[in-house]
Amino acid sequence: MQYELKTQIIEPLRPTFDHLVARYGNKPATRYQEGTIDLQPTENFHYRPTYSPEYELYDPNYSAFKLTDPYSFLDPRQYYYTPYVTNRAQMHEAFGKTLDYVADHNLFGRTPEAWKRLIGEIVIPLRHYEAGCQMLFSGAARFAWGATIAQCCTFEGFDRIGNAQLISRVGITLGEQTAGVLNAAKQSWMEAPAWQPLRRYIEEALVEPDWAVGVVAVDLVDKLLDTLIYRHLDEEAIVGGAGAYSLLAQHVGTWYAEHRKWLDTLYKAWLADPELAGANAAAFSAAVSAWLPKAADAVGALAQHADTIVDTGAAAGLEARVAQVKAEYEALGLTVS
Amino acid sequence: MTTNPTKPVKKLSMQQRYSALTRDIDWTPSYVTEDQLYPHTTYEGIKIHDWSKWDDPFRLTVDAYYRYQAEKDKRLYAVLDGFAQGQGHLTLSDPAYLNAMKIFLGGVTPLEYQANRHFSYLARHFNGPGPRFAAQCQSVDELRHAQTEIHTLSNYNKYYSGMHNFAKMHDRVWYLSVPKSYFDDALSAGPFEFLIAIGFSFEYLLTNLLFVPFMSGASFNGDLPTMTFGFSAQSDESRHMTLGLEAIKFLLEQDEANVPIVQEWVDKWFWRGYRVTAIIAMMLDYMLPRPVMSWKESFELYFEQQMLNGLFPDLAYYGIRPPKGVEQAIWEKEHLSHLVYHTFYQFSHAANLTTSIPTKEHQAWLASAYPDAFEQFYKPKWDKLEKMAAEGNRYFYPGLPQLCQVCQVPMLFTEHGDPTKLCQRHSEFKGEHFNFCSDHCKEIFDREPEKYVQAWLPVHQIYLGNCGGPTIPDVLAWYGYAEGDSGEMLGNVDHNNWKKWHAQVDDSVGGRESVEVGGAAEAGKGA
Repeated sequence: MQYELKTQIIEPLRPTFDHLVARYGNKPATRYQEGTIDLQPTENFHYRPTYSPEYELYDPNYSAFKLTDPYSFLDPRQYYYTPYVTNRAQMHEAFGKTLDYVADHNLFGRTPEAWKRLIGEIVIPLRHYEAGCQMLFSGAARFAWGATIAQCCTFEGFDRIGNAQLISRVGITLGEQTAGVLNAAKQSWMEAPAWQPLRRYIEEALVEPDWAVGVVAVDLVDKLLDTLIYRHLDEEAIVGGAGAYSLLAQHVGTWYAEHRKWLDTLYKAWLADPELAGANAAAFSAAVSAWLPKAADAVGALAQHADTIVDTGAAAGLEARVAQVKAEYEALGLTVS
Repeated sequence: MTTNPTKPVKKLSMQQRYSALTRDIDWTPSYVTEDQLYPHTTYEGIKIHDWSKWDDPFRLTVDAYYRYQAEKDKRLYAVLDGFAQGQGHLTLSDPAYLNAMKIFLGGVTPLEYQANRHFSYLARHFNGPGPRFAAQCQSVDELRHAQTEIHTLSNYNKYYSGMHNFAKMHDRVWYLSVPKSYFDDALSAGPFEFLIAIGFSFEYLLTNLLFVPFMSGASFNGDLPTMTFGFSAQSDESRHMTLGLEAIKFLLEQDEANVPIVQEWVDKWFWRGYRVTAIIAMMLDYMLPRPVMSWKESFELYFEQQMLNGLFPDLAYYGIRPPKGVEQAIWEKEHLSHLVYHTFYQFSHAANLTTSIPTKEHQAWLASAYPDAFEQFYKPKWDKLEKMAAEGNRYFYPGLPQLCQVCQVPMLFTEHGDPTKLCQRHSEFKGEHFNFCSDHCKEIFDREPEKYVQAWLPVHQIYLGNCGGPTIPDVLAWYGYAEGDSGEMLGNVDHNNWKKWHAQVDDSVGGRESVEVGGAAEAGKGA
């Protein structure tokens, strides 16, 4: 039972905006739909961009990956601004509490030296990688065709600079509120042999002119890093008495699992397009074939270096994961050479 | 003296910590060149020697950003939901007020969306992590504004006309090409010019003239949701204003050679933005049932006092003078809104909004706000149109207006100093003839003719047959208009529904004399 409140009812003249009625029928739309669908201009552009006059201001030809209807892709998380920031506010708050807990209980002080070294040398330099990913997704947010994809890229770009800050905060805590660990990590990123393949990878991905190839490329590394940093080493850290690692890694690890949702949905949309699936599959196959071996080398170098600090069998585990990733793309229908 | 047994730790200060989180994550590439990584920051001629000199006064980190913004949105959406549930739209001053919001949703909201996309471009393409992060925060803010504006106005769209097709209208409707071409101009420029055009000129120099009047109009006319949105966006906007000011100072401080380039942009973008404000001047003076302040007053306060007397003396230190065109804008403040509304009155059969002769009370207000211009120059025009309307001959202009090639406003402006003489300027480029509304639009064209010959001029496109067909009804169908979107306000769909709904709601104590359901029905027949 519930009590019945009398209210003034005035019948609305229309349930929502025309373009949503045309797509989804004569019914009220969600806030995700109203705030996203068909928002990007598609016609009657006034001037060609001076930085790329061969294209329009918004142009599907900024990428070889295309959708006949860009709104055949929808963010499965239905993120528009408000639910996005609400969710991430909770994530960062939870992370902050964990970090306070780790600091208050001096958990790093009780972490085995080798694991502390491993965090400093293998995890903290990733803040630079994440910062590179921010740039890559911000670029994609500008040049993607369609507001649903662009919105996911906008949020992903912001997520990545957020990840860079989370990892940096771990570094500051590990360095006992000094910049010592961060400075060493930056030196590793710039100079240590184990980091050079990954740094080269992200620098090259950033100059890739096709935004979608860039997205596919960093996702290959992300899949492998997720396995290495947020699954394998997380598990081994608990066994090895480095619970602090796991406590902190869980937050970014949870984020990795969540961001897969929109990427996997986008991949499916590209490959299910009624007209362009074939061309997309060809571009996709070429991108994965070109970048997967480099991703395997880049993350493999980190895994090998991790094994020299704490031997957890990371390199061997990663090799198996590379084969699995290749199989995942093949299962989507790609030809990966 | 005793020594501490543990080695003293040099802890990070707040500023160092902020720098570690936002600046130190950057690195200089070595596997690709800096030119490859940032290919767009040299071709405009701007020289940056030290990107680390970019100063961000807000010291915002990502976690703090999420926390503030999530909290603000929770409050905003609570207001939107409550207003919708309680049929708050019936508490507006008058349904005619929503004409202002039709302009806003079709003219401004799509620009917010485009700002989201292009500040992302800056967040990718600037060489320095400081401006990249500032641009990235602004990019997501702009997405917030586009979406919260749509969600705010969505409830009105359910009950009133002119908003149902706003995104398509923005891309197609003749007068909306004024804001669209303005923003396309900025988006198609290089990253530094965009920063000056939008970051500085729009967000700082003109924001109190371009954006704020809508929010103030809302608060005066019972539009609680839009007013709440306005307050909710205020802290974002103050960050954007700070970015705009930092942007121009940063460019000016980096190299003396930047000064003349920036000056040209300040000149251009003042005038481009000022011409967009023609629509806002009309909205402020003629379209708010309860006016906030006149355009003249607004221009004097927000531009002459705050910018000319406040900002430009500071910029003079860097060698920047007030923009060209300022003198003309100051002179035009007496005339602008009257000229524009007079034109819209005659073309509202082709707009997504309605117009009417200003009421006696409204004309009295205009006369007091414009003692030197209204009665002398504009009241006679309204008297003439009023007489025609009273004789059953409500006037609509039967043809299409000529547009300025640069600002795309119909050629309705007069010579600087003479409100009775229409201004027309021309240029030839590659054997073609182009028209301009003013010396300053002509100068903008002559500086970059290759750009402005590309303009998608709505009237020209109609003549070319690119807008749905040769007749006005064909074009209006292509715009996606529906009954009630356009024309005379009195007797219009919104006007009639308003009377009907108020009769229904106000009848709860047994009927009020002021509400006549029959009157609404009769007005409906007359439409």
